[in-house]
Amino acid sequence: VKTAGVIVALAAAVSAQAQPSALTILSSKCLACHGAARMSDLDLRDRAAALKGGKRGPAIVPGSSGSSLLYQAVKRDTPLQMPPGKDALTAEEIEALKKWIDAGAPWSAGAGLEGGGWWSFQKPVHPQVPPGKPHPIDAFLEARRRQKGLSAASQAGRGTLARRAYFDLHGLPPTPEQVDEFVNDASPESWKQLIDRLLASPRYGERWGRYWLDLVRYADTSGFETDHFYVSAWRYRDYVIESFNKDKPYDVFIKEQIAADEIWGTDVDLEGILRMPEAKAENLKRRIGTSLFTMGAFPIEYTYYGDQYRAEWASEAVDVVGSAFLGMTLACARCHDHKFDPVSQRDYYRLAAMFAGSSEREIPLGSLFDVQTATRGFPLLAHAEAMKRMVRNMKRGEPGSEAEAKRDEMLKRLGEAYLRAPERAPTAIVIGHDETIRPTHVLKKGEWQHKGELVKPGFPAALGPGPEVKDRERRKALAEWLASADHPLVARVMVNRIWQGHFSHGLVRTPNDFGRQGDAPTHPELLDWLATEFVARKFSIKEMHRLLMTSEAYRMSSVAPKGSAEKDPENLYLSHMNRRRLDGDAIRDSILAAAGTLNLRMGGVGVIPPLTKEEIQAARMPDLWPANPDPSEHNRRSVYLQMKRSLTLPMLQTFDAPDTSQSCARRETSTVAPQALALMNSEFTAKQAAALARRVGSRETPGTTVDAVWRVALGRLPSDQERATAVEYLNKAGLERLCLMVLNLNEFLYVD
Amino acid sequence: MEPSKQELAGPQSGGGAAQRLQLSLLSQGDSGLRLAGELLGRALTRRVLFGRAATGLGGVALASLLNRNLFSAGGIEGVPHFAPKAKHVIFLHQSGAPSQIELFDYKPELKKLHGTELPGSIRRGQRITGMTSGQDSFPVAAPIFGFKPYGKSGTMMGELIPHTGSIADDICLIRTVHTDAINHDPAITFIQTGSQQPGRPSLGSWVSYGLGSENDNLPAFVVLVSQASGLNVDQPLFSRLWSSGFLPSSYQGVQFRAGADPVLYLSDPPGIDRASRRRILDAVQAINKVKAESFADPEIDTRIQQYELAYRMQASVPELMDLSKEPQSTFDLYGPEASKPGSYASHCLLARRLIERGVRFVQLYKRGWDQHNDLPRDIALQCQATDQPSAALVKDLKQRGLLDDTLVVWGGEFGRTIYSQGKLTATNYGRDHHPRNFGVWLAGGGIKGGLAIGRTDDYSYNIEEDPVHVHDLQATVLHLLGVDHTRLTYKFQGRWFRLTDVHGEVVQKALA
Repeated sequence: VKTAGVIVALAAAVSAQAQPSALTILSSKCLACHGAARMSDLDLRDRAAALKGGKRGPAIVPGSSGSSLLYQAVKRDTPLQMPPGKDALTAEEIEALKKWIDAGAPWSAGAGLEGGGWWSFQKPVHPQVPPGKPHPIDAFLEARRRQKGLSAASQAGRGTLARRAYFDLHGLPPTPEQVDEFVNDASPESWKQLIDRLLASPRYGERWGRYWLDLVRYADTSGFETDHFYVSAWRYRDYVIESFNKDKPYDVFIKEQIAADEIWGTDVDLEGILRMPEAKAENLKRRIGTSLFTMGAFPIEYTYYGDQYRAEWASEAVDVVGSAFLGMTLACARCHDHKFDPVSQRDYYRLAAMFAGSSEREIPLGSLFDVQTATRGFPLLAHAEAMKRMVRNMKRGEPGSEAEAKRDEMLKRLGEAYLRAPERAPTAIVIGHDETIRPTHVLKKGEWQHKGELVKPGFPAALGPGPEVKDRERRKALAEWLASADHPLVARVMVNRIWQGHFSHGLVRTPNDFGRQGDAPTHPELLDWLATEFVARKFSIKEMHRLLMTSEAYRMSSVAPKGSAEKDPENLYLSHMNRRRLDGDAIRDSILAAAGTLNLRMGGVGVIPPLTKEEIQAARMPDLWPANPDPSEHNRRSVYLQMKRSLTLPMLQTFDAPDTSQSCARRETSTVAPQALALMNSEFTAKQAAALARRVGSRETPGTTVDAVWRVALGRLPSDQERATAVEYLNKAGLERLCLMVLNLNEFLYVD
Repeated sequence: MEPSKQELAGPQSGGGAAQRLQLSLLSQGDSGLRLAGELLGRALTRRVLFGRAATGLGGVALASLLNRNLFSAGGIEGVPHFAPKAKHVIFLHQSGAPSQIELFDYKPELKKLHGTELPGSIRRGQRITGMTSGQDSFPVAAPIFGFKPYGKSGTMMGELIPHTGSIADDICLIRTVHTDAINHDPAITFIQTGSQQPGRPSLGSWVSYGLGSENDNLPAFVVLVSQASGLNVDQPLFSRLWSSGFLPSSYQGVQFRAGADPVLYLSDPPGIDRASRRRILDAVQAINKVKAESFADPEIDTRIQQYELAYRMQASVPELMDLSKEPQSTFDLYGPEASKPGSYASHCLLARRLIERGVRFVQLYKRGWDQHNDLPRDIALQCQATDQPSAALVKDLKQRGLLDDTLVVWGGEFGRTIYSQGKLTATNYGRDHHPRNFGVWLAGGGIKGGLAIGRTDDYSYNIEEDPVHVHDLQATVLHLLGVDHTRLTYKFQGRWFRLTDVHGEVVQKALA
């Protein structure tokens, strides 16, 4: 559906030459797949290998283009068509290859061809910053705008900026006082200070942690028919939020999630220790990162065990690594060599082998003393459970009867017994090592029953050999490879995500696909500059926020300058800021914030909010949705709500909550009628509108009441026209209804 | 916001539609915009629109509107790929998997084999579920219900479904559908989305994505779920079965339910009547328009329209769900259950009402066919609840002239085993899941009636002739809608996806 303006940004140098040489064509158009990656066993890096050919036979028959597979494939008049997809060679290039083959396919000086891979597989090089602007980001953007004949929008007003910054970093609106604080601070440092204040708040980790959780398909249950509950998934959620709040360097964040146990050790030998040493507690915390691989969507069923389960598990792990860290969709290569990207099926199973010998386990999080203390109380627990069985079996009677009185008495004792019973000792489900490491095979068509070639753990060939992989340290090798300063993809992919979080779209608009089917970067030099800066700034994500937000670009108005909408309707070149709709979580949180009911308590088991009968109708087992008994808990931030794969909260679902079966790199922002129904008619918005009305209260005049509602909900005063409309409505419908109306305004859902 | 005439209608932009478009645009303001979007969605391609109208903010707004939302009203460029036989689909999914052995696959020899062990040569190492893998014997259970020939075509079907028998000459029965999945959730997901893994768009989403809607007041893809009639615990159904997956969410199925709120949040909250609803809407829209003028953001216009659609749905959906004006003859046709909200019979009737109103795809689910035990008792109850209404729907569509362009599909997610699960007695048995063959029938637009396709072995265990894979069935449904299943694609995270993955052959024999 998308009318994407596809920009061929890179590797254009070759095709721009008037007389393309055959070897440069091979290098730029073929080697990504038929170089080190040896897709279909074809290697075109040197003449001998090219003549030998691959699975389909010799690629080149010197002197005869007609019988050369390579020529047939690029000419595209047989079913074999290369390069695949839309990247056909030009007529000149095809002609050049024909002439070259007919001339005997001379290979200059016998040298092998190098590189020529896909742009994102080449290590980024710190580019020169163009002159003319004090901030490098603005310099890069301005250079591109000039090329396209575009101008930049003026800077946004301070009220708009405050709102933008709060939503970007916290996913919450500023209070009127917070807006005033910034708007009235004339000091030149005020913007930087605001950014620092926002980054220092724990609300930041809740917002940016949420993005990460989407990316790694976080949920609290397994999905499918059984929808098992993952008892400690929430600890991973808290780990992620804390990591962002502490500005954990991204390389460390990667290493912890993939191989904390192999890198920092699992030594929790705590005999005789009352309190766990800090270093060990820290290591345990890091290890919760590996819970990443214990919460996928899995049909945990009786037909799903042994080799099949292991195959599915490893494959899910590879997919997560591919999407989250590499920004590549690897799943295609599970069944066959990737049709578009230089990832072979062998590469896929080499990555899967990184996870061989690892599996899930539950580990205690306390010291041995804590664990023992908890076991000491077990008889109390057994006592309470015995009593529960008794109550369940008791005869019921009429209300007020002797039987009921007896039962009530037992119920009371049961409650007291449970109060005395010990807490469950804290544990986490993480990954660790099995006793044996089973061999990994390439699975034909991806089916676990059909074992093919045996493979060793390793990295995709097109991305270089990578470090040595030792048994028991397989994931460590994978983690260190990903987290190395030289990795061509990892830093680019992450800075692109950060960019997207501020500018609505990444510089690469397909954030989980940096391969050939993805979009090319709109600003390749800027992307590389940011990636290399990210590494130079020790992978500090907060530093990147500062870098991006202090640019003029970030502070532009979202009103498009004249003429830009025609020249660049998708705003690829950022002539203005993109307006964007808040995602479902931010909408719910903002409604609570405006109503003054938001509970900012952090962490802990996922909260179950109450649902109406109508809302819960879709649930598999409505009994398993016990609303939290403490009503103040219902108003926690959305990131702390339980995420059940079989039941997405209707309100969030209406606003495009991610399907948690796979990585979500960017939430959809659809505009559909059920959203209008949800915001107008749900019990939730009605309740919150009432709370907002109580919070604001009736002021001296209808006009000042309207002003107060506007200030609280939208962070600004209404225009005269708006005030007039609102006052008229207030007089007819009352304050509660006015508040509901304001929560339904477009402006409430959008950030300028 | 006023595009010039020149911008909107270039010399080759194909006359009528563009003419009407500019007239309505210039004369009607916002509602003109909407109308324009609809006209364009149907009559002009997006590219032409972009090329001609993308100068001036009005044009940009229009193009963007068309892309994101109203576009869903018009389907996508170039679809249908060829002349369609059907324009609407009603998919009567029988969730839990009805037994082909009692209903569709007549095996007179089974009486003799009753109680004998299923030969290994037939089972051929078939993977079986954990529910029967512990059994030490697999005794053949012949159906205790009889079969008879129905219609002029004489198609043999179970005596439990005489009403279906009465439409035998209108349906094409495929006895040899097979699937890859062996458990309910993956299997239903497979038949609905072409993949066992969740996350892909549902058939109804693909269809409304490709073909768009014909009704401005109702969603293009409507879902109705009715509960089990048997006594066994039935299988759950998740809303992700009608999810649009990676397609834009405007293509997701909207569930209509029995009760006060047929669509979630449809009813006005207490204290709000139609007039006060209109007032709050007017206030919202008035203030939104102030903003819209300063930003010229098409999103705002879209949201304004969606609020209006929601308002219209508040009237159109209850009107649709209200069966009180249907004549007695309707209830005679569909059976007495049809007046009971939430019943399968009432849903069949609603399906007809939805098709009458131009809804593109109606997905029904009837739960309760998972008869691992007490099959004789439960299958009889299920048939009692579904046989008459299913047949009535086909007859009703036919008498109203709607069957010619409506395709009706009836079937489960897999079949059931010939061997008994649990103890086989003279009057009782159960059947486990069986993915290798099961029965599905089709009727209506483009289908050859009075036909039965496919042959299985004596045990109804393996296909001997005319296998029809789930992907083939899906390809056939799309084909009848004028859609080439290999060409209805969507790019998501670096890959082009389609309903049938890389498989699927149209079942030519079934076509009229």
